[in-house]
Amino acid sequence: MYRIGVDVGGTFTDFLLYDDSGASSVFKTPSTPADPSIGVLNGFGKMAEKAGVSLEEFIAGVELIVHGTTVTTNAALTGNGVKTGLITTLGFRDILEMRRGFRESAYDNKMTPPKPLVPRDLRLGVEGRVTFDGAVATPLDEAGLLDAIAVLKREKVEAVAVCFMHSYANPEHEQAAKKLIERELPELFLTVSSELLPQARLYERVSTSVLNSYVGPILRNYLGYLATALDNIGFSGVLLIMQSNGGVATPEATSKTPAMTLLSGPAGGPAAGIAFTAVQGYEQCITVDMGGTSFDAALVQNREPLLRSDGWINRQRLALPMLDIHTIGAGGGSIGWIDEGGLLHMGPQSAGAVPGAACYGKGGKLPTCTDANLVLGYLNPGYFLGGDMGLDFEAARTAIEEHVAKPLGLSVEEAAAGMFHLMNVNMAAGLREISISRGIDPREYPLVVAGGAGPIHGGMIALEMEIPVVLVPRESSIFCASGMLRSDLKHSYVRTYHVLGSRADQGVMLKSFAELEQEGRRILKTEKVEDEKRLRMEHAVDMRYLGQHNEITVGFQLDEFEKGGIEFLRERLHQEHDRLYGYALRGSDTELEIINLRLVAVGITEKPQLQVTELSGADATASLKGTRPVYIPSVKFFRDITVYDGETLAYGNRGEGPAIIEQITTTTFVPPEYDFIVDAAGTFSLYLRSSADEYLRRVLPS
Amino acid sequence: MMHSIDPILVTVIQRRLKAITEEMGLVMLRTARSPILSEARDFVTGLYNAKGELLEQTAYIPILAFAVPLSIKYMVEYFGDDLYPGDVIIHNDPFTGGNQPTDVKIVRPIFHQEQLVGFSCINGHQADVGGAVAGGYNPRATEIWQESLRITPVKLYEKGVKRRDVWDLVFGNIRFPIVMEDIQAAMGGCAVGERELLKLYKRYGQPRFEAHLRHLYDATEQQMRAEISAMPDGVYHGASTIYYDGFNLGSTMEIKVAVAISGSDISFDFAGTAPQTMGFVNAPLGSSMTSVILTLLMCLKNPELPQNAGMTRPISVQIPEGSMLNPVYPAASTFGNHMSDQISSAIFNAMAQVVPERVTAPWNPLFAIAAVGYNDRIQRPFVDILFNALKGGGGGTRGADGYDHIGLIGCGGGLLAQDPEMFEMKDPLFLHSFEYKQDSAGAGEWRGGLGVELEMEFLNDGNLISAFGDGIDPGSEAGGLLGGGSGINNSGALTYADGRVHTCTNKEMVVNIPRGTRWRQVAGGGGGYGDPLRRPIDRVEQEVRYGVLSKEAARDKYGVTIDPLTMTADRSGERSLPVARSCGEAPVSATDGAAAAAV
Repeated sequence: MYRIGVDVGGTFTDFLLYDDSGASSVFKTPSTPADPSIGVLNGFGKMAEKAGVSLEEFIAGVELIVHGTTVTTNAALTGNGVKTGLITTLGFRDILEMRRGFRESAYDNKMTPPKPLVPRDLRLGVEGRVTFDGAVATPLDEAGLLDAIAVLKREKVEAVAVCFMHSYANPEHEQAAKKLIERELPELFLTVSSELLPQARLYERVSTSVLNSYVGPILRNYLGYLATALDNIGFSGVLLIMQSNGGVATPEATSKTPAMTLLSGPAGGPAAGIAFTAVQGYEQCITVDMGGTSFDAALVQNREPLLRSDGWINRQRLALPMLDIHTIGAGGGSIGWIDEGGLLHMGPQSAGAVPGAACYGKGGKLPTCTDANLVLGYLNPGYFLGGDMGLDFEAARTAIEEHVAKPLGLSVEEAAAGMFHLMNVNMAAGLREISISRGIDPREYPLVVAGGAGPIHGGMIALEMEIPVVLVPRESSIFCASGMLRSDLKHSYVRTYHVLGSRADQGVMLKSFAELEQEGRRILKTEKVEDEKRLRMEHAVDMRYLGQHNEITVGFQLDEFEKGGIEFLRERLHQEHDRLYGYALRGSDTELEIINLRLVAVGITEKPQLQVTELSGADATASLKGTRPVYIPSVKFFRDITVYDGETLAYGNRGEGPAIIEQITTTTFVPPEYDFIVDAAGTFSLYLRSSADEYLRRVLPS
Repeated sequence: MMHSIDPILVTVIQRRLKAITEEMGLVMLRTARSPILSEARDFVTGLYNAKGELLEQTAYIPILAFAVPLSIKYMVEYFGDDLYPGDVIIHNDPFTGGNQPTDVKIVRPIFHQEQLVGFSCINGHQADVGGAVAGGYNPRATEIWQESLRITPVKLYEKGVKRRDVWDLVFGNIRFPIVMEDIQAAMGGCAVGERELLKLYKRYGQPRFEAHLRHLYDATEQQMRAEISAMPDGVYHGASTIYYDGFNLGSTMEIKVAVAISGSDISFDFAGTAPQTMGFVNAPLGSSMTSVILTLLMCLKNPELPQNAGMTRPISVQIPEGSMLNPVYPAASTFGNHMSDQISSAIFNAMAQVVPERVTAPWNPLFAIAAVGYNDRIQRPFVDILFNALKGGGGGTRGADGYDHIGLIGCGGGLLAQDPEMFEMKDPLFLHSFEYKQDSAGAGEWRGGLGVELEMEFLNDGNLISAFGDGIDPGSEAGGLLGGGSGINNSGALTYADGRVHTCTNKEMVVNIPRGTRWRQVAGGGGGYGDPLRRPIDRVEQEVRYGVLSKEAARDKYGVTIDPLTMTADRSGERSLPVARSCGEAPVSATDGAAAAAV
């Protein structure tokens, strides 16, 4: 039986195919943006061809497809969602557009606010008011509501969101509105804010609900096409969709909460990082994925990726649980330029896939990071994509000379070295954001490097941050697809319970948790998870010290809370506050506030095993490809260094830096401060020479 | 030069310095308790060289950004050789380089191999600094001591040892214990700044590091000079008015500025600006200087240049001593940072003749209230500054409408309105409505940003409001530029349960407000830019459909007639303004004033 991870990207759709033995193979097809399911089917065709069977025969043997899709992301980024209406409390219809009056750039007066996803004439206020404690201050004006529905009907909206003040505390009015809308406009995609996100903060809730409706029909249609296409070829296995929280869910569950897929693009990365570092006994890591235009960094602790409860997409607020992934505009396509004071910058502008780097010869004239990597010898002009795509060395030189070297009075090589160095400094700053900024010392974490361009820079970023170990998985170019197959089913729930700690009622809280758990079990049952051993319930409470403005999400085991009660929560708040902010208010009579109860219902999936190979000797001479001149940053000089064929390196093989490891899809640069060894799963593992003894014990059998 | 300069290393050092100031900021955000610091982020972190010149900074709110070098230069002079590793200095004095007295600096001298090489500093708005009124905003103050404890540079720590006597004296004169914790947070941030700067000294060696710093200053200076050189030489005049000193109803005070551009140098001379007022409507020199620089940054093609001493070299600022923008001891000045609205207006007014494509029309000037009362849900007093209600519109500029609901210019859109639900959860206040205000924006080819209207109700008895700001009196609204119209005025009024209405002045305290009383506040829109008749008819039509513009205003201000049935614009014939309106208090007339002042 096969399992397939599918990651639909902007340019390519990546596939990772696993069979029962754990053997994996990689496929790539061009993406088909108009209907991405075509590209997906093409990929299955390629797999069938390689297996020498018909598409129908092949698909009959597939038990699981995990699918990452960016159709919602693209709709939100390009403003191509559906025409959406909003019904909200009278007097509050502008909260969506106001965004709390935030402007991202302090001095840029040409910056204008983003266009709201629902224009003002489709944001309709209706009388009726609930207070913060759930009491009804003014009854819902049903006649007014019908008028509003009539407007939406007349305007032919395709989706609608309903979001009233304090509906998390009392959803009565939203439920009444839901009934009427379903009666009057049954075909509409409807989001009810208290069902999607029963949590205080009106701006967060209204923005998230509107996003959900805005991309809802698009995802529903896409999943419809895909299901039909799969049906037609006789697929009878399970299809799961990647979510922004790092979990997966069925198409049915996903169709109701399409906003959960908005930031799911890089969400497979950490799960892959966990698998590849676990081979060496790690429970934590930092993963970085460097593509053509962006660099994603994430952090894993205790085999769990860090989560956040909200974020932004295209300057719109999205308050759903998502992996805490920090993205910066740095990639192979980042363009180098000189400002008026004569200082060099890299990016954030990118040459993208078209026109691309100057060396691609597709019309790009500006010097990019990829051009610098070529000039410095990190890339082999004759072996890019295994030789499928030639690189124009002279075009790269000319672009760098004209736009960077001449203005700075440097040689082309010096200029390229500067570009390379600056890229590494910028990406290291991205790493600081997800580690030091969160009170975490990155030197205690192995760095897992993925993406086409990542492994050239990974070693140098690690050196900059003093990180001793860098892992480059063999499948690093399709890292996310591999993580998707290792993700659990996850459903996140939140319910506001706003109360002072001293007045909190443990019974009420336990009852709420039980209700949330029941709902989680129900959904997981529809996803065929019933075995207790495959179920896990994760409980948490959002709390803060009275008077603070931002709450902290504090996780715990339910039985600890049952035993310890509110006092236990108080102690957990102190612990977390101390960890995050460096102090706690223990011992004083500081009052705490409880804001939200959270539950994540997890259905544990069976993960494909990484194929482990037999230990081969330390000797890597069989994989030597020769030498070539490569720029060595520490001596600011080119040296002829060893090039290894990454395709043939085996478990236990070792080599000294500086070195180059070439694969068809990736090139790894081992800086002179590092040596490398191949681990049992075939991962190229770079380690600081000074920590060799300790590290090798971790990789080699005892 | 002894050390050959590696141009790449210059950029790398600049990025690292920036990262250090950001890390100092994170310490502050994590550990500070007062929402003014942790939520509103009203502080700046920075590194300075041994002379007190800026190396790099991170300003969450621009108004605090450029005042610190003045204070540190004073400290260098004041302490001389009497500075040691492990010293921590506290300072808030407006007369030796401070911002308004609520902004408290913590400064740490940094030594490398026993030589003073620099300073780290965090300048933040503290929840209280002593004085007559909690929080410091005292419209009755006529001297600094009625608004705060005056702290000239004094060491809280010397050589790493806490000076208990000084510590107890300072914090014995400040109301809230959290201020002590927040000062400790700032000390933590400064220690991080010291540690990280020393790492750079060690890594590159002092001579090499400092040579590259000098080069960084030069490169930034060059960048700034390139911007200024592109502006035509000349002397350009601008003016603006501040309304009401808090003592003499109807009083107005004028700000005058002459901007002189000569080659790559620029100077700002405030000769002719009104003398200092008797109350707190005075901007300390530090606040005034910062307002000048942040406004100039907004006039640049690329405002994102590195922030260091090289950037400010081509800039000189002269402000007469004893004027409202450089008051002499012992003037009160807690209103000082808020005067950035009018300082910016005056400068944009002048710069409109230089870079008309980059200045904005005036922004809505701040008008704010602090609501004080008792929260029986948690049995504690509350203070709520209505950030939501005070954020009016920004000024329009060529190519972009003013930013809606952005708030005062000195915050550049970094100060956030409360979420409506959190607002009601936190304090016993009930929001009736909070929306964009129709017709609030100044008309223009690029209109001003929209203002907002808020109506709320007090749920308990015994409330007090303290109002401060501007923009209420006729003429004090955000004017238009280059043919654009004015935004509407700010206003605030209480309606008591018996129907009695009390309309507030812009500096006033009202006490004993009972439950059931409603407060209605309008933050006006920004000024419009350019002739409204040139605004595309589609935009006018669309905004009428959206309801942010009335049909009447479309006709009277934009010359666009909207059919009330189809809601579409009449596209036949020339657009013109109705005759009756063109000579009244129509929007265009406000521009004439600006133009006159500019001559």
